[in-house]
Amino acid sequence: MRVETTRSAGVVRLRHGAGFTSSADDVAAQAAPLVAAARTRGEPVALAVRPATAAALEDMLARTAPVTAPTTGPFAAAPGPPVLLCGPEGPDRSGQTLAARWACELRTLTRTRGGVTVIVEHDGALDGIDGRFWTELDAALNVALTDLAATVVCLYPQLPLHLEVAEGARRNHPLLLVDGALRQNPAHREPRDVLAARGAPAPALLGPPDRRIGFDTWQLAAVRDGVAQAARAAGCDRDRVDDLVLAVNEVATNAVEHGSGDAHLDVWTGDAVRELVCEVHDGGALRDPLPGLRAPHPSDPRGRGLWIARQLCDLLHVWSDAAGTHVRIRALP
Amino acid sequence: MQTATTDGRSGVHACAIPASDEQLWEMTAAFVTAGLTAGEQVVYFDDGTVDAVLERLVDDRVPVHGPLSDGQLTVVGAAQTRQVVRGPVRDAAVLLADMIDRAVGAGYPGFRMTGQWSSGLVRGDGISLADYDAALDTVLTGRPARVLCLYDRHRFPDDAIEQLRFRHRIELDAPALYDDNLLRITRTAPFRMRLAGEVDHSNRPVVLRMVAATLDEALRSHSAPTTLEFDLSSLRFLDGAGAIGLVHAAEGFPESQRLALHGVRPGVARILDRCGAPFAAQLDVTPHHGEFADDGFGDGVAPALPGGRR
Repeated sequence: MRVETTRSAGVVRLRHGAGFTSSADDVAAQAAPLVAAARTRGEPVALAVRPATAAALEDMLARTAPVTAPTTGPFAAAPGPPVLLCGPEGPDRSGQTLAARWACELRTLTRTRGGVTVIVEHDGALDGIDGRFWTELDAALNVALTDLAATVVCLYPQLPLHLEVAEGARRNHPLLLVDGALRQNPAHREPRDVLAARGAPAPALLGPPDRRIGFDTWQLAAVRDGVAQAARAAGCDRDRVDDLVLAVNEVATNAVEHGSGDAHLDVWTGDAVRELVCEVHDGGALRDPLPGLRAPHPSDPRGRGLWIARQLCDLLHVWSDAAGTHVRIRALP
Repeated sequence: MQTATTDGRSGVHACAIPASDEQLWEMTAAFVTAGLTAGEQVVYFDDGTVDAVLERLVDDRVPVHGPLSDGQLTVVGAAQTRQVVRGPVRDAAVLLADMIDRAVGAGYPGFRMTGQWSSGLVRGDGISLADYDAALDTVLTGRPARVLCLYDRHRFPDDAIEQLRFRHRIELDAPALYDDNLLRITRTAPFRMRLAGEVDHSNRPVVLRMVAATLDEALRSHSAPTTLEFDLSSLRFLDGAGAIGLVHAAEGFPESQRLALHGVRPGVARILDRCGAPFAAQLDVTPHHGEFADDGFGDGVAPALPGGRR
C-alpha cells in the first residue's frame, strides 16, 4: 500500500513589517527593542543594516542585561551575535536576487533555531534612479520568505529622496511598526498587485552583446552550446559549466514555452569578462512578476526550472516591458 | 546491397550512413570495440571527431588507455587524415597496404580502419572518395582487414552519400527506437533502453512516453523483470522538467516495479538530485563509471570524458 502525501495550501509564517524613522539614531532606537526581544526568546537575529547601525545595536545590546535564553526546549542555547546578511553584489541591483539569497541564508538559520528576527535598514545608495529597488525587494521577500518563521522589520526614512520608497513600503508590508509593536497595515497589497503597478526595474544597459542566438523550441541546443562556450571562456570548471548551462536552459525553455516564440539569447564575452553574463529575451508577457523565488511542491510537474536557475546563478533578474519579458543572468566561475 | 546489423565484423569493406552524430559515435565505437576485442589493430583517422568517439568508448566501458598506449588503437591526426584523403589515390592505397602488412607483421590477427574522411569531399581535381573506395577494394583483397566507411548525413551531402553507398557491398545499420539528431534511444535488451545525447523541451515528451510504454509492456509480460533499466551513460544533458518527469514516473510505478537509471553523469545526477530523485523510493540512480579528471592521454587524443563534451 502506498500512502500518498496530500497537498495543502502553503502556510504563511512570515511576519513582514515596516517602520518609519526620523533619523539614523531613530533606526537603532526602533530596532533595539526588537533585537532584544528576539534574544530574550532565544531567536537568532540577522541584520541588513548600515555598519553604523549595526555597531549602535551591538553597543546597545552590550549595555543591556545579559540574554536570558530559555534553559529548556529547542531554543535552550543562547543565541550568538547578530548575523549580517549579504548585500547586493556586482554591478546590478536586483531586489529579487537579494531576496532569494536572503531566503537561502535565513533558511539555514531557521533550520536549527525555529525562528529568526531580521532588521533591514533602507540605504539610499541602493535606490537607483527611482527607488524601485526597495519595492521589488520587499515584494520578493513576501514571496521568498512566506513559509519561513521569520519576523522581518524594514526601517525606512519618513521622508525618503524617492517617494516610491515610502509608497512601496506601505503597499508591501502586511504589518507596520507603530510605537514598538507590529500592527496590521490596511494599505498592504499582494506582491503581484504591487508589481503590476510598478514592476521590477530594468537593469543598466550592457551595450551590444558579443553574440546573439535566436532560438525556438528546437534550437535550445544552440543556446546550451553558446552558454557552455561563454562559461568556459569565463573560467568555469566542468561542473560549473554544466550547472550554468542547465540554468540558462531553464530560462530559455520558459521563454519558448510561455513567450511569443521569437526568443533570443544575448551573451557578453571577451577577455575582460570573468563571469558569465547573458540575457534571455522573449516577446511574451510576464504572468508571475517574481518567478522562481519559491521551491515548487515536489508533486508539481512544472515550475522548478527558474527556482533551480536562481540557486545556480549569482544574479537572476527578471523584468518585463512593452517588448516582452527579459532575464539577465550573471554567474561567477 | 546487404544490410547487416552493426556487429562490426560483417564485411571487409562496409559503409554506414548514420543519420545523427549519436548514431555515428555509436557505430564507430561498436566497430572499434569489435576490433579491440578480437585483438586486431584498429586505426581511426580523425578529423575533429575522435574526442566524441573515445568518449563513447568510455561510456561503453571499453578500456582505451591500454590500447592507446601500446598502439593497438591508433589515432591518425586530423592533418594527416586530410593529407591522405586529398592526396593521390595511389599514395593512400600504398599507405593502407603498408599499415595492414605492418599490423600483421607485428602479430595482430587482423586490422581494421575507420574514421572521418569528409574532408575528401572538397578536393577539386575531379577525384572523388569513390575512387578511394575502388582502390580500397584492391588493397583489401587477400589481406585480413576490415574498413568501415562512415558517410554521416551531417558531413556528407545526400548525392555524395548515394554515390558512395553503392560502392559498398555491405551497409551496416544500427536501428533506433528514436533519433532526432539531439537524442537517440536504442533498445539494448528487452526492457533496457539506452539514451544518448540531450533531453530538453523539444524531445522530453518522447522520453517520458518511452518510460510509460516500457512499463506498460513490462506489466503485460509474464517474463518481464521487475526493474526497467535505462542506461544514461551517454546522456549529456537532462533538463529540469525531464528530471522531474523521470522522478514522478518512478513514483507512479506499481509497487512491483522499479526504474533504474544507470551510468548517470555528474551533471545529470545533480539535476535529478535537485528534483527529488533521492526521495523516490522506486528509483535507483547509479553514477557513471568514467574518470573525470585529466588522465594523461595527451597528444590531442584525450577522450572527452563525461561532461567534457556537451
